[in-house]
Amino acid sequence: MSEQGGAAAAGPRDEGRRRPEAPPEAREPLAPSEQGGAAAAGPRDEGRRRHPAPPEAREQSSTVSALLNWLMPDVPLARVALLRRAVYAFVIIDVLLLHTSGYYHGWADPAWYRPLLLGQLLHLPAASVPLVELLRWGCLAAAAVALAGRLPRLAGAAVAVTWIWYQYVAFAYGKVDHDRADFVVALLVLPTVAAAATAVDRRRSEAAGFAVRAIQLTAIATYFLSAWAKVRFGGIGWVNSATMVRAVVRRGTWLGDQLLQVPWTLHAFQWVLITAELLSPLIFVVGERWRRRMVFAWYLFHASVYATITIAFWPHLVMMLAFLPLEEYRDRFVSWFRRPRRGSPEPTEPPEVPATERTGVPVRG
Amino acid sequence: MEVSAGTADGRAVVRLGTRARAWRVALLVVLAGLFLAGTAVGDDPWWPFGPWRMFATSTAPSGAVYSLSIEMRETGSADWRPAPITPSSVGLNRAEIEGRVPQLTADPRLLGTLARAHARLHPKDRAWTGVRVVQSRILLDGQRPTGEVVRTVLATWVAP
Repeated sequence: MSEQGGAAAAGPRDEGRRRPEAPPEAREPLAPSEQGGAAAAGPRDEGRRRHPAPPEAREQSSTVSALLNWLMPDVPLARVALLRRAVYAFVIIDVLLLHTSGYYHGWADPAWYRPLLLGQLLHLPAASVPLVELLRWGCLAAAAVALAGRLPRLAGAAVAVTWIWYQYVAFAYGKVDHDRADFVVALLVLPTVAAAATAVDRRRSEAAGFAVRAIQLTAIATYFLSAWAKVRFGGIGWVNSATMVRAVVRRGTWLGDQLLQVPWTLHAFQWVLITAELLSPLIFVVGERWRRRMVFAWYLFHASVYATITIAFWPHLVMMLAFLPLEEYRDRFVSWFRRPRRGSPEPTEPPEVPATERTGVPVRG
Repeated sequence: MEVSAGTADGRAVVRLGTRARAWRVALLVVLAGLFLAGTAVGDDPWWPFGPWRMFATSTAPSGAVYSLSIEMRETGSADWRPAPITPSSVGLNRAEIEGRVPQLTADPRLLGTLARAHARLHPKDRAWTGVRVVQSRILLDGQRPTGEVVRTVLATWVAP
């Protein structure tokens, strides 16, 4: 599809299915809507305002449409294109290097197989060598196609099925890792964006906005619901228990062992952790600048956990990218990379400008 | 389905139709319901909707941390030596074996499957003629390890 953007480029695939009640010319840009806020809801109600409704009904419908616009903001397709690259590149690294226990379950005796509910529901068999080889190579092949930006729906769906099944095989032998469930949602929602966008595609899309929002919501749900799980399983006394000491004793690094000598640090860490987890949904109401700061604070948190007990929730770290304006970072990187260097000859051709500048749309940042 | 629209400033916005919005909302509602139910009443077998219980259990500040190790005996040796418990060695990882301690003590023959998996994964290595599970209790006092470790053999399998 063209990188130029423009209404014409977006249309052809859906032309035949265009719904009469949504005339494109009646729409207006909703650029600020991805930052949330009721203000973004306005233009969508255009049609309804022509038929005056009782004030309370109008208020109700505008609340619903504000919520819908918040769930499906229009975001640049370039962001989803970059997010796809991160997600599918991660899938390849994950399957080959990070999480290979499912692969070796192909060699474990079926006596160790303990089907999860998903497996009982779908009658999934115990792992065998041919099954794990099929899942591994099938997932890698589909991820390579999706990474290249081809067949976003088909390849994306194939990655979702094979990766989820591969994780199932890993977890159906008695130990479930708790860092991979949210990534399932990322793999399920990315194929819902039909457009095979590129990294310079500045068309904005609500389908892309939905995928980004669903990934954000799930990533934050991980924090909030894990605080809930701590209270459910560890009791209210969890914050004063020796849980972090246990983790460090079992797999502490040099840094972790130093902290073990000063037990109050690990104790305080538990208070900080559960507080941050409970407050994590605030990320959806703060302004853009604080939102980015919170994301980087979470990255810092995960880095410190890794430095202490060598545990990283890798798939989750990829999901947190959904909060960042990846296309802006990319543009900044590209213009830094192509900056005129001292001693280099003057460029004979003008440098390539991002598509949006050619179409007259200002590039933020 | 998606509906495209041009805007006054030339920016293209690809919008969603009513039905496209409806099924997306339904998908989110279903996922949210499953995740919430999983956290409230579910458990690990609910994966991927089970509770996010990483580090959720409480450990008493003074008590013990349990650590499990597997020891093996190779052909031609009478010594028990630590066996690496990794997926690439026996097809299973430590926690998966830790979770089956009751079955292992009830039927130590299950340990024999580890020797067989090891033979399939590493056919050139010497065969394991015995496998046993040893539990180490690392004692804590006031959130600090005391340095005292108590070892107990929980189950032993010896090749017939």
